[in-house]
Amino acid sequence: MGGKRTRSDIIGDMLSSIIERGGQIKPTHLMYKSNMSHGQMKAYIDDLIGKELVKKSKKGNYDYVIITDKGHEFIQKLREIKEFERAFGL
Amino acid sequence: MVQVVFSPKWFWGKDIFIDSVSAFVLILIAIFVTRYYRINKSRNYLYFAISFYLIALSFLSKILINFTVYYQVLHTQVIGSMQYAHTILKSSEILAISGLFFYRLLNLAGLFMLYSIYEKQSKANILLMTFFIITSVFLSKEEYYMFYVLSFILLGIITNRYYQNYRRNKKKETAMLAASFAVITLSQLPFMLVSFTKHLYVAGEAMQLIGYTILLFTFVSVLKHGREKDKKRYNR
Repeated sequence: MGGKRTRSDIIGDMLSSIIERGGQIKPTHLMYKSNMSHGQMKAYIDDLIGKELVKKSKKGNYDYVIITDKGHEFIQKLREIKEFERAFGL
Repeated sequence: MVQVVFSPKWFWGKDIFIDSVSAFVLILIAIFVTRYYRINKSRNYLYFAISFYLIALSFLSKILINFTVYYQVLHTQVIGSMQYAHTILKSSEILAISGLFFYRLLNLAGLFMLYSIYEKQSKANILLMTFFIITSVFLSKEEYYMFYVLSFILLGIITNRYYQNYRRNKKKETAMLAASFAVITLSQLPFMLVSFTKHLYVAGEAMQLIGYTILLFTFVSVLKHGREKDKKRYNR
């Protein structure tokens, strides 16, 4: 995709990355897969946790970011929007 | 006397059904786009939803006019009282004329807003077009085809935009969208010439029904396609 990513693009990429990893991902992997800086990613994760789209969980020595049901519904909506945008040329 | 009824009598009620279907399709899409706007806050979504609501409202206006006129004319025939008929037709004429005014104004305002999403307008252009739309709505009171000429032009430009979009991405949904708007655009032609024969009104309404049905299928297909992409990456 060309051009600057919008906020919903970034959130979509983050949630997709988590789904690709089976619903949970380490924060560092998420950072690389979503092409973000550490500071950016932290702010986004805090926001997504606040909106209950993801939650954080500790497994062994590692932190994981886990997508919630609400997160799954949200990514679904984002895909619909993207498709609508393509079809109607918005 | 201002002409408010263009339909042949045998078609009364059927046109109300067609306009109701058109309004339903527009409102359905507008509701979804309003939800999308709440998520991504893009102004284009807001303007798109407003333009569809405006056009839907214009159809609701037309439905109200036709329903009132048809019902009152039929009712008057049954009652058969001259004095009663005079009073009731007078009041329904006022309602019909003002309804027709709002139908045309809301329809053109909605189409212009939709057109402005794709062709960015300066403030001066918006002012000029607003003046032009209001003037043509007033002129349409006597020369009804003025309204259809302007809506034909606006719809034609929008259709061309959707066709260009189809040429870029060659997707089924964009082709369907361009086709639906092309049919809706062409439906303005028989409406323009309805003074020659009222049967052209039937042709225009039939084309409008086809156009909005294709638009509904397009939208359903877009939703379905979006949902099918579950396992693919969001941005691809």
